[in-house]
Amino acid sequence: MATMATPLPPLRCATLLLLAVLVGVLASTARADLVISKAERRVDLTSHIVRVLASLKVENVGPDPVSQVLLAFPNIQAKNLAAIRAFSSEGNAKSQSTVLPIEVVQPSGAPPELTFFSALLPKPLEKGKSLNLDVLTVFTHSLQPFPEEITQADAQLVVYQDSAHYLSPYPVKSQALTIRLPGGRVESYTRQPNAKLVNSELKYGPFTDLPPFSYSPVIVHFENNNPFAVAKELVREIEISHWGNVQITEHYNIVHGGARLKGEFSRIDYQSRPYVRGVSSFRHLIASLPPRAHSIYYRDEIGNISTSHLWGDSKKTQLEIEPRFPLFGGWQTTFTIGYGLPLQDFVFTSDGKRFLNITFGAPMEEILIEKLTVKVVLPEGSKDIEVSVPFPVKQSQEVKYSHLDIAGRPVVVLEKPGVIPEHNLYFQVYYRFNNISLLREPMMLITGFFLLFVACIVYMRTDMSISKNSPSYLAKLQWDEVQATVQKIEGMFEQYLGVHDKLEASLRDLSRTGDIQTCKAARKAADAQFKELSKELKPLLTSLQSSPQSYQIWPKVEDLISKEREMQEKLMTRHSTVVDSFEKKLRGQDVENRIAQQQQKIAALRQEIESLLEYISEI
Amino acid sequence: MAAKAISSPVPVEWYPTLAVVMVSVGLMFTASFFIYEATSSRRSRSLAKEIATAAVASVFLGFGSLFVLLASGVYV
Repeated sequence: MATMATPLPPLRCATLLLLAVLVGVLASTARADLVISKAERRVDLTSHIVRVLASLKVENVGPDPVSQVLLAFPNIQAKNLAAIRAFSSEGNAKSQSTVLPIEVVQPSGAPPELTFFSALLPKPLEKGKSLNLDVLTVFTHSLQPFPEEITQADAQLVVYQDSAHYLSPYPVKSQALTIRLPGGRVESYTRQPNAKLVNSELKYGPFTDLPPFSYSPVIVHFENNNPFAVAKELVREIEISHWGNVQITEHYNIVHGGARLKGEFSRIDYQSRPYVRGVSSFRHLIASLPPRAHSIYYRDEIGNISTSHLWGDSKKTQLEIEPRFPLFGGWQTTFTIGYGLPLQDFVFTSDGKRFLNITFGAPMEEILIEKLTVKVVLPEGSKDIEVSVPFPVKQSQEVKYSHLDIAGRPVVVLEKPGVIPEHNLYFQVYYRFNNISLLREPMMLITGFFLLFVACIVYMRTDMSISKNSPSYLAKLQWDEVQATVQKIEGMFEQYLGVHDKLEASLRDLSRTGDIQTCKAARKAADAQFKELSKELKPLLTSLQSSPQSYQIWPKVEDLISKEREMQEKLMTRHSTVVDSFEKKLRGQDVENRIAQQQQKIAALRQEIESLLEYISEI
Repeated sequence: MAAKAISSPVPVEWYPTLAVVMVSVGLMFTASFFIYEATSSRRSRSLAKEIATAAVASVFLGFGSLFVLLASGVYV
């Protein structure tokens, strides 16, 4: 592969030169109260997101206590600044480090090419005291692929530009710069008398006693094949259901943000020697999901993508996904990941309000998201919605119609550009919700089913025949009447059988207790009931007989009536015989002899009556 | 002002069992309703009995279908 000379992108070169000229001009805006006695900068270039950790020892040499420390960045760098955090610790021990709030400030007399941030100290730094300050700055799009287009077999080379001297509005007594490279080839770096490249670490320094705003441009051109995963757009939908689930659905549009592929892609070369042909591409993406995530799916517009692996423990669930094709520079892929989380891990209640406590960014590792939209879908009936996010976002509200919804669910939409893994902090959404509103959903289902049943009832009760005078219609009406009468007769026969059973029971009681009077009383009662039932039966029988549709069933009913009469007689005689023999104190054997014949007949009659009743009920 | 975690009113492990039990009871009441409709004659039908059976059946079927939805992963 031909070695490229390093002509820099011309625009950046010009701006850097301008900055170098400004060094002297800016001396007038230097602060005379703070001095940085030691500045150690560590730049991490292993990933496509550049992280710079500056450990400063700030000393107050002025007469007044100082409550803020200014940090300066050139505008080209500040444009790519995604996150800035400052920590302070007292003395040498790192145990007590507090996070300092950072603001963008515009000090008087400041040149427009610089952006200033101010770290507010928790308590003012007294005269003569010193403070350890750690500033972490994260830059995106700071590694320029150079060359911008490579073939499949090439490694990806990128350019990083920075200053060997720490750019600060205060004079710096002693400082050093360490740049950590990802390993692999280093094409070129700015040669300086105290620059050393040892084991993929580039060290510049130490420099002593530099004036404020000193700038010495340093350019490193090196090989970085780590995945440049950039999500052009990520929509993250978090749906809360109080029945026990928080469902997260993430729609990704991932592009390889490094040097673009030119020429053709040869699958044979890629598969036979992937470490030579295709070293600049990446195949896997790893996502760290919360523990106890379930029902995880990975699909795209075509369907399910099966090249994924999942393993989990009690602290996290690790999902490794492999898109349908490896991603080379400039290539993009879209997919959707969804998973469910238990409700009790993420939704809490305090002071009458409920809140959702969940991470803001994507669970993917080392991914830069150019536009992140987080939608939090709250259950229907939620009121008083408030959001608390640790960094500024754009908020709006909309409505989503989902399962079993009448008015729709309120959705809080949060948008933020330029999201990096450092933004994966917890945020809260507060709302009010009454558990009674949960019952609305089963009520809807119950009402639906009940309306079905009511429709059945109405259908059975309406008369939808067209002609009310046709013979078949009239015949049907008459048959309905016959059926009703027969059912009533059946009911009466049930009562008859009940009385028979009572008589038999009284006989058994007699043999057990020997109480003749109760037995006789029972017989009298049975007699009266029989008379009453036959009185009620008479009108039913007459109406049945008169109906023209009853010709089939009438003989059976007549048969039934006669058999019932016979049975009544037999039962009565048997009863009297038993009572008499009891009065005469005959032996059990004699009693049996007398009623044996009757017993047989009674049993046979009973069988016949029951079979007739069955036949009638099945018509 | 400690935050307390909230969970669903019915334990999530019970969802499949509740779904099966409620739907089967609901179907039994539905069967009883339709048997009554089929075997009774126009004269002897009682609206109160019909409405009562329909109401009980629809309550069980409603809750049963809700738990079927929840047990199969559609968290409504």
